[in-house]
Amino acid sequence: MSAPAGTFHDRVEKALHDPQLKIALERTTGNARRKRAAAVEAWPEFSAARAAAAAIKDHALAHMAYYLEMFERNALASGAQVHWARDPDEARRIVVEICKAAGAKTVTRSKSMLGEEIGLPHALAEAGLRRVETDLAEHIIQLAGETPSHIIWPAAHRTREDVAKLFDQYHREKPPAHDVVSMVGSARKELRADFFAAEVGISGANFLVAETGAICTITNEGNAELTTTPPRVHIVTAGIEKIVASTEHALQLTRLLVRSATGADLTQYTTFHSGPKRAADRDGPEQFHIVLVDHERTKMLSELPEMLRCLRCGACLNHCVVYRAIGGHAYGGAYPGPMGSVLTPAFDGLQQTRDLPSACTLNGQCKQVCPVDIPLPTMLRHWRSRSWRAGYEPKIAGAAISIWAFVAARPALYQLAQTFALPAMRLFAKAGWISSLPLASGWTAHRDFPKPPRQTFLTMIRKGNRS
Amino acid sequence: MNAREAIFAAINKARTESGASAAIAAEAQACSEAMKRTLPALDLSDLAALFTARAGAEKVGATLERVAALGELPAAVARYVAANNLAPDFAVQPDPRLRQLDWGALRPGAPLRPDSALAVGIALCGVAETGSLVFHSGSEAPTLYEFLPLHHLVALDAQSLLPRLEDYAVFARDLAVPRNVNLVTGASGTTDIEGVLARGAHGPGRLHIVIFN
Amino acid sequence: MPERGNAPGAPHVGLFATCLVDSIRPNVGFAALALLEAAGCKVEVPLQQTCCGQPAFNSGADDAAKPLAKAVIETFEAFDYLVAPSGSCAGMIKAHYPELFADDPAWLPRARALAAKTHELLSFLVDVRGFSPRNVVCKASATYHDSCSGLRELGVKAQPRALLNAVAGLELRPLEGEETCCGFGGTFCVKYSDISNAIVGEKAQNVVATDADLLLGGDLGCLLNMAGKLRRDGASTRVFHTAEILAGMADHAIGEEA
Repeated sequence: MSAPAGTFHDRVEKALHDPQLKIALERTTGNARRKRAAAVEAWPEFSAARAAAAAIKDHALAHMAYYLEMFERNALASGAQVHWARDPDEARRIVVEICKAAGAKTVTRSKSMLGEEIGLPHALAEAGLRRVETDLAEHIIQLAGETPSHIIWPAAHRTREDVAKLFDQYHREKPPAHDVVSMVGSARKELRADFFAAEVGISGANFLVAETGAICTITNEGNAELTTTPPRVHIVTAGIEKIVASTEHALQLTRLLVRSATGADLTQYTTFHSGPKRAADRDGPEQFHIVLVDHERTKMLSELPEMLRCLRCGACLNHCVVYRAIGGHAYGGAYPGPMGSVLTPAFDGLQQTRDLPSACTLNGQCKQVCPVDIPLPTMLRHWRSRSWRAGYEPKIAGAAISIWAFVAARPALYQLAQTFALPAMRLFAKAGWISSLPLASGWTAHRDFPKPPRQTFLTMIRKGNRS
Repeated sequence: MNAREAIFAAINKARTESGASAAIAAEAQACSEAMKRTLPALDLSDLAALFTARAGAEKVGATLERVAALGELPAAVARYVAANNLAPDFAVQPDPRLRQLDWGALRPGAPLRPDSALAVGIALCGVAETGSLVFHSGSEAPTLYEFLPLHHLVALDAQSLLPRLEDYAVFARDLAVPRNVNLVTGASGTTDIEGVLARGAHGPGRLHIVIFN
Repeated sequence: MPERGNAPGAPHVGLFATCLVDSIRPNVGFAALALLEAAGCKVEVPLQQTCCGQPAFNSGADDAAKPLAKAVIETFEAFDYLVAPSGSCAGMIKAHYPELFADDPAWLPRARALAAKTHELLSFLVDVRGFSPRNVVCKASATYHDSCSGLRELGVKAQPRALLNAVAGLELRPLEGEETCCGFGGTFCVKYSDISNAIVGEKAQNVVATDADLLLGGDLGCLLNMAGKLRRDGASTRVFHTAEILAGMADHAIGEEA
């Protein structure tokens, strides 16, 4: 990821003042929430299934080295070439070198968040390659010159009216109408030839299957197979935490992943890719490269182990009141929403990103909908406490907490403080309410505050008078 | 230390768990079994009926019909071609079971092209739970047959139906791993514009399944 | 320490009023007292109580939260139960004290022991005491917001509704997004005031859309947030803590002067 523009607060202000963004987010996440709810309703033991899914991922992570070695062995046996990258820089270099060796001019990509995480779009452009995003949403944001704002619906910040404008402007053949179906048809036509022009197709992976050495992609549009089958070279970039023991485990996790993401029972295309074209095959790439990326994941094994379960379903985004208010771009990382607020500090450094884990009400809905039961609020609190200890918190806010805690730990002092503060606050009240209060503009900018009582509850109890 | 060595060293530093492969396999098996115990009950007495209900459900969106034998596939194709105003030329997956059928007046020899209107194929098996068709790529089943045509008409042997996704995983263990395993569940679609489902994104816009005995 | 309610064999309950109730809305504390006594408890209000430490803990300031948590443990560990008219304060003690002292072998057992007997008021009344209000009348329509900590950390959902259904004349109306956070989030609402405003703005719209006379809930922080926003938006919805309705002590809503 390239560095995001402005501070978190700047980006939030921009988002909150964009009425179109709110409409777009509510349409997409609202649809997603309704469909997920219906799918979960039809699985009475869904809560037990979440625990079982977490156990499947934890099993693979507990034996990560064992399974990665097994995966590598089986992938090599299938004719795949396996590359290892410690960091985004190394990963980008490997991908670009493969493209160059293949004499590539055009590269097709099917949506991969890992690709965004390691800055692949930018690296391909820098290498002078023509990059064609084939996922519909990625196509939309490529036309708009943007980055994804959601991990499942990268164009969640765009309304259909926005998309119509983009397609009218950029498609060789304008869409015949501006309903969703006509625009989807227009993108199909626009991208058809590129699938066959590309020398290299790049995909991500939802799972790395140790037992077979195959990688699994979960898609709906059919663009992944059209990206990975016709070109001479298929490159997979995947985080090492995508490892699972078996095809069975991959399919069992897919059941929860898809229901949590789109509410379907299964995506239209669940594909296991293993090695290059076999001798008798009539289609498929001649080379199949798998680039396995660490990028802080081995560190997270000790620090944030449950986060490595993440299936990237996006349910925590769709159910997050903060995401729904500010959208994905405000977060400034490759991954937005609750899961992004845990991941981005790990990737980009806590000092620059400390707002992300703080800008959360800890309401717990993200954990409740997570298909692998990741304790997201606990992990966000982990970052807050790291940030506190490291002294990254703003001085005034930190001092306020410290002073308040000092006072609250001393009941007599606490009562004395109340004796001064409450009558002082009462001076600002009119008709029972305070609409502006010094040092409390964070509250009174948007809400009124009720006039405090003459005496506290404990004072009245002490004096023996009941209400 | 190269990247591979560095990554494994970091994993081993963080995770000390190890064990005999038999013990790990037993643990993996226990994980699968625990998941299976959570699954909603399914009526498995008639897999073809279950498959039909699931694949034909609105959110999957395939159309289906049943015929007595594979020999009746050409007649089903002819009906489909007529009903959808398609040309009688179409591509046929190079599976000998399809090539040896008597296609009558239909012309099944068309090459597969990026804009093929219709391709006729045959699935390796089906998964009733999800209404999914399974294809293993190979000389008789090139991958692109499932993705290029606008209409994909697929023959499915009722005897090949498996109850659940787990049963497919067990079934596949005895087969060579092909380049591509495709589980196809309905026609291609996208919800990328405002979360609204639209069919025919890049793959087929229509999927018609002919179940034969 | 004043004591009230003296039935023999009655459980000895320490009422943790919470700092917000203590400072801003004592009526909730008195309502809680009355309800616990009506439910057959011997109630005490320890006078040295202040705050559970949640604002510090949620800010990541574990070192600042610990002395407060220790004080709460020392103050309440002798009681049969700690009851608080707040899901988030009860949740702090029940779910997070053991987390806070996870590496402290001296305090962890005490934190766990207190967690085990800590309850949110409304769920305590129903689940532990089998209580139902009698002869309480409130002729009004009301809608209910499920505060997040109570709902997700403690499973408070059915209990307040069961209690309110026993109030004569009260009509409960469903609230769109009743399980969705109101945007309070403790210090969040002042640190990220504009985001919080967007969230509570949507909540206020949903409340107004029910056209109910009253908005009820079980956590004063959330109620102050929603009441303050409704008031700023010019809505006439009256906001009460559920305990005030159940105790028949709902004369003056939040912000209404006596």
